[in-house]
Amino acid sequence: MTSAQAIDKLERDGHGAYVESYDPDAQRMTLNMGPVHPATHGVLRLLLELDGETVMKCEPIIGYLHTGMEKECEDQNWRQAVTIVTRMDYLAQFSNELVYSRAVDRLLDIDVPPRGRYIRVLMSELNRLSSHLVWYGTQGLDMGAMSALFYGFREREVIQDFNEMVTGLRMNNGYIIPGGVWEDLPDGWEPAVESILALMSRRIEEYEELLTFNPVFLERTRGVGVISKEVALALGASGPIARASGIDLDLRRDAPYEVYDKLTFDVPTLTEGDVYARYQVRMIEMRESLKILRQVVDGMPGGDYKNMDPKLTPPPRSELNRSMEAVIHHFKLMTQGYTVPEGEVYEAVESPRGELGCYTVSSGGTAPHRVHVRDPSFANLQLLPPAAIGGLVADLIAVIASLDPIMGGVDR
Amino acid sequence: MAVARERLSPDEILERVERVLDDKITASRLNFGQADVTCEPDRLVDVVTALRDHEDTRTIFFTFLSAIDRSTFGNEESEGRGELEVLVHLYSPELVFHVNVHVPLPMDSPTCASISGVFRGAEWHERETHEMFGIAFEGHPGLTNLYLPEDFEGRPLLKSFRLPGRFVKDWPGAKDPEEAAGGGRG
Repeated sequence: MTSAQAIDKLERDGHGAYVESYDPDAQRMTLNMGPVHPATHGVLRLLLELDGETVMKCEPIIGYLHTGMEKECEDQNWRQAVTIVTRMDYLAQFSNELVYSRAVDRLLDIDVPPRGRYIRVLMSELNRLSSHLVWYGTQGLDMGAMSALFYGFREREVIQDFNEMVTGLRMNNGYIIPGGVWEDLPDGWEPAVESILALMSRRIEEYEELLTFNPVFLERTRGVGVISKEVALALGASGPIARASGIDLDLRRDAPYEVYDKLTFDVPTLTEGDVYARYQVRMIEMRESLKILRQVVDGMPGGDYKNMDPKLTPPPRSELNRSMEAVIHHFKLMTQGYTVPEGEVYEAVESPRGELGCYTVSSGGTAPHRVHVRDPSFANLQLLPPAAIGGLVADLIAVIASLDPIMGGVDR
Repeated sequence: MAVARERLSPDEILERVERVLDDKITASRLNFGQADVTCEPDRLVDVVTALRDHEDTRTIFFTFLSAIDRSTFGNEESEGRGELEVLVHLYSPELVFHVNVHVPLPMDSPTCASISGVFRGAEWHERETHEMFGIAFEGHPGLTNLYLPEDFEGRPLLKSFRLPGRFVKDWPGAKDPEEAAGGGRG
């Protein structure tokens, strides 16, 4: 069976939306779920057609958070656009900054010092943990396990505190920039990461105790919302969702960026494709992230944390009092920013939700000509109709939580 | 799909892509280690189908589809200057390489073949590109707005669409003190 045929088993209604079977005269209830609904994880609206409790049609309607961020990037200079892309997928802010900065790095053809690379990986892996913790909490909550939410957010707070300690902000950090990272790690970062590692390896055990073998949780997730490998591939799924459906795909291993080629970790792949498989994949990923973080802390080199080319990086404050040249560089960078040579490049990283890509076009000016972000939530959300149709409304809730869409990324 | 991943050199990638696509494309080059090909709008479906199904390329992963407005690119002489362009990005997980398919289109009534029959995941991408650039995708099952309300006017990602907050208004007062009444002292 080819990939397209797998979805063709579902019919289409007059507007092209997938339905279990199309009968315009059938007595069905139309239900609007969202856009403001606690189980749709943001401003996702679902147009459902129900036959009793069974979902016959499910049409995601998006755009409630669309603010035209790609357009906005074209009006900012290269450095400022970091603050726009970080707001797209707001739970994976460091991945967004990383992919954009890597694209600009390549267009500029500059090197990032080893310490800068390690810091980038440190922050993105902590980010993966904190993002998966939000997923864990909401997945648990939607299945009726209220305590999962409290546990997930309790540990996420510790990571948020670390983000605040390093970048000064808890979200939308704007920390990873073209050329490296904005500031060096502050004193005391190492004990802080060590305590997160010690805490998390203990707490992940607790999470597993709470849900992994919980009969109610198993009943509601096993065999629910099954996504076959063919459907996942046809719709462009990536990340934990693809890996739970048997697609062995992880950019950190396949096309290593930054320092991932020096790190050893496993990529979990399951074949069931149901909500429970996606749960298991993410739980294993959290442990793998801890393994990566361990190696990053041990291997953190010294030296510069960003490219110190004065044409890219403002001079240190102390220089400004002594050197006229430093003042000129500072003025130029702050008023118009640097130019990037003509060219275009596609860069991709593995965000907590899958392949996050950035196609950046430079026309040689101080602002991007075009920044297109390939957000994994956007592609993954298309899997909702095939996964939910034919199931119960209660299962739909489980499926949404397991797809873990972030509407900021979907709508951009 | 756990397979031993072959590593191809950039030249091998380009050579394979050129061999598979043959006369379906009008230009090809290497760009940052990725194959960049250009084709006519009516050959796009052939191109992506060949890339997906051929044993030597196997780009089974559809990454994204979008468009670029090149009408204001650089200056008149810039190489990247042009009109509209549809961009399809494909990835081969087994051979670990990327292909960018560029489809140049005219600015007035741009029309391109839909690839949603090849990759179902392109449906939303095409709806987004349609509303943002005004490109019609022939053969799409339901080409309606994805993000914008139905009554929205304009194509936001075209360079001719200016954000209302970005209009520069002239300073309402006098620029020189001498011009102002009272010689700037009043």
